[in-house]
Amino acid sequence: MNNMIETDRLSQQAATQGAIRIEDVVKIYDPDGAAVMAVDHCSLDIPAGEICMIVGPSGCGKTTLLNAIAGFHSITSGRIFMDGKLLCGPDKPMAEPGSDRIVVFQNGALFPWKTNLENVAFGPLMQGKLGKKEIYEKARSMMADAGLSGTENNFPGEVSSGLRRRVEIVRALMNDPKVLLFDEPYRALDSLTKSVMHEALLEIYYKNKVTIFFITHDLEEAIFLGHRLVIMTSRPCKPKKILTVDIPHPRDYGVLTSPRFRELMEETSAVVHEEAKKSFAAGEREG
Amino acid sequence: MDQTNALLRRAMPFQTVSDELLADIAKLAKLKSYARGDVIYNAGDVADNIQIVSSGSVQHVMKLGKGSGDLDRVMRSGEVFGWAAVFEDQRARLATTTCLERTEVLQIDGEELMSLIRRTPVTGDVIMSRFATMITKEFAAPDAVAARITHFGQAASTAPVQGDGVGSGWALTAFRLSQWLKSPKPYLMLAGFAILLSFWYLTVEVWKLPRFKDTPGLTTVVKELLSHNPVYGLSIYTPEYYQHIWASVRRVAIAFFLATALGVPLGLFLGWSKQFREYVFPVFETLRPIPILAWVPLAILMFSGTETPVIFLTFLASFFATALNTMLGVESIDESYSRAAYCLGASKWQVFREVIVPGAMPFIFTGLQISVGVAWFSLVAGEMVSGEFGLGYVINTSYTMVRYPTIVIGMATLGAVGYGTSALVRMVGDYMMQWRVRELALGGR
Repeated sequence: MNNMIETDRLSQQAATQGAIRIEDVVKIYDPDGAAVMAVDHCSLDIPAGEICMIVGPSGCGKTTLLNAIAGFHSITSGRIFMDGKLLCGPDKPMAEPGSDRIVVFQNGALFPWKTNLENVAFGPLMQGKLGKKEIYEKARSMMADAGLSGTENNFPGEVSSGLRRRVEIVRALMNDPKVLLFDEPYRALDSLTKSVMHEALLEIYYKNKVTIFFITHDLEEAIFLGHRLVIMTSRPCKPKKILTVDIPHPRDYGVLTSPRFRELMEETSAVVHEEAKKSFAAGEREG
Repeated sequence: MDQTNALLRRAMPFQTVSDELLADIAKLAKLKSYARGDVIYNAGDVADNIQIVSSGSVQHVMKLGKGSGDLDRVMRSGEVFGWAAVFEDQRARLATTTCLERTEVLQIDGEELMSLIRRTPVTGDVIMSRFATMITKEFAAPDAVAARITHFGQAASTAPVQGDGVGSGWALTAFRLSQWLKSPKPYLMLAGFAILLSFWYLTVEVWKLPRFKDTPGLTTVVKELLSHNPVYGLSIYTPEYYQHIWASVRRVAIAFFLATALGVPLGLFLGWSKQFREYVFPVFETLRPIPILAWVPLAILMFSGTETPVIFLTFLASFFATALNTMLGVESIDESYSRAAYCLGASKWQVFREVIVPGAMPFIFTGLQISVGVAWFSLVAGEMVSGEFGLGYVINTSYTMVRYPTIVIGMATLGAVGYGTSALVRMVGDYMMQWRVRELALGGR
């Protein structure tokens, strides 16, 4: 019980860092001279510490937006800020990747040639911030906190996919990031593992205040996890409907059967379905 | 019972054992609960069982003798303590363990566990060496403590105690070898050879089929090979036989070493740097299709003596195979890996070292296996043209001097030595890529 009150207090205590501001961003791909607009004048404000769920059909350009924030892709015009500092804009089309914004990838990107512990320790080791011994100590204790003791010396290929995702999140958190960028990380998981992963993610979120930018096409996942839902149009991508999920945090799986959850599902599913149909008709590729 | 199995599977010492053995170990295990503050045992007590935390947490304070202080650790689900019960010598508790909350532990009697795993000593030693690794790595105990773990003496002389590195690597290899001998694979392999040899015997010596009847038969070749006084001058009892093998092996070894030392870095840079690739790749691709035999005249013009041209020719073929496969290996690496590394603050050079090189490793080793194969291939071509020793030379001169059985001896020896070298490359690859071996083993391969 005590624990519940503690997490409640924490979740209300707002994070002060990691606000993302997307201003009028356009991204045009021009692979064979035929310009394809992936993102169309998209603006979005994500306050620090929010779980912002980006929902849209496959191939709508959500990942393009994430890649622009992470610094993997350039943008054609517009600006992206973090905590008021320019990440990318007209004079600097591509952001610098950095450990303040860490991506959790769709298919998982734990290095299969490193043990789970070495993976978790990777960030600080590369940055050379701490001594080796301290880094491994911190990595072990963070893994223990996330229920990963005993898997330290296994290679990622030896543990279940659910555990792998958890290791990947711990690897990100080792760097005290301001923003976590999730690119449909649970897409390949079965629904039972998924539900376990959702609760685990929330638990980690309540302990570590970060902003979460989470891409998904699973509406149930979006409503269960998010403070806010941003439903995107199919390509070119821009916000079509923004919805605040007024179910208080901390949440657990009981939420799924609550009447309010059902109402929100009904309210949004028509919008999402319409976009999915458009995207299907346009013959968008997955991605 | 399933829960017990799952818990044991997570415990460090038992992670690699077979399902059957794990089930047997599970039968020995007893679940016991303790309340908060209970002491499970004190330092100095008789150590009769090992313990695995199922739920809750246990504080583990180990006294290391005067002056070196205590080692304090909190054990959670899946962690193993009480391992003094599998020591070789006197089994007394080294630590005091206290439950920090309501805790359940699995207890396994040390004697019973050891008599169970003693039945399969190789597996047993793997378990024991994992115990030892766990003690040094996770409990940070001195090596002297880990060295007290029981050994069954089977693979023990080469299965050292500390380190995940050499120790468990070799123990794992020994374990895989024993598994292999138990499987039908070696017998199928023998059957395959038997079929080939009987085909040869029947076609040449029994049925005397046209086209086959003029070639040397199995019995002639075997008799010649095993003769103390060979008709054509070459058998396993003549020193020349080994001189020829040594000459060829030495040339291949030098060429292969040079090809690897130059080909792997070239391939890595070709795959990694777009600009470097623009310069070099077209030249590379123009030279690569030129057959080794076409290089022979130039090789002889360029290098003096008989040795260097042959090594050069052998080197060329394996160099191209190695470099090309390495480059493909770099290209095959999922972009997410380098992106993740950049996200985590790695510099460009760190990405190269930590992601590109290990990520390309499986392809590099595939390349090296091809490379060692083509090395033998071009070696024989080179030896047929120049040189006065070597297996290629044996085959060629035996033909001109009508020593037909010796041709086959040369061919069979080439085959056997070639097989040996590529098996060696594969073993080195498996050893360097434990992650891959373990991943594939889980995939049932």
